[in-house]
Amino acid sequence: MAADAQQIAQRIPGEKSSLPAMVLVAGWLVPGLGHLLLGKWVRALLLFLSILGMFLIGLSAQGKLYSPSTGDILDMLGFAGQLGLGLLSGLAHLFGWGATSAVNTLADYGTKFLVCGGLLNYIAAVDAHSLANGRKAS
Amino acid sequence: MTLSHFSAVLLFALFTSVVFGITQRAEPKMMIRFGAYCFVLFVGAVIVASWVMYAIKH
Repeated sequence: MAADAQQIAQRIPGEKSSLPAMVLVAGWLVPGLGHLLLGKWVRALLLFLSILGMFLIGLSAQGKLYSPSTGDILDMLGFAGQLGLGLLSGLAHLFGWGATSAVNTLADYGTKFLVCGGLLNYIAAVDAHSLANGRKAS
Repeated sequence: MTLSHFSAVLLFALFTSVVFGITQRAEPKMMIRFGAYCFVLFVGAVIVASWVMYAIKH
């Protein structure tokens, strides 16, 4: 019984440790940090540049920064998407970056860049988690 | 910074394809292939949709 458990633990590296959860949170807070902690620095750099690029383009296009407290379900969904940007989202709210409403077509694109950047970072953080717990091979 | 609509599409497709390639495949070679595939699909779909809208209007 104990030998079986040991074999399973060997087949799924890191499952019993707190590494997968730490990598998940780190990857969410800073894009690519989860992969960097796993030693995959090329992937980490590419993820960081891609998601930071989405964030910066969204801001420079005057994209709307959603707030959770408007009572509008679509605003809440947009906020949940942008929350995926982790610390970038926190900084944007803290310093008042981004617009309160999308005033033209390009600003609407900017809003989509911000939301999709957050959603992509969720995917990247879950990928780092899967690498850490052995669900993804490499 | 002023982006044209098409340059916004290209940048969106590029960044999204990079993330999809890295996260949806396990081997580096397959990541590049899948990323390129996603990029072509994104941009191709936009060009096709643009011509469809042009055809509808005219």
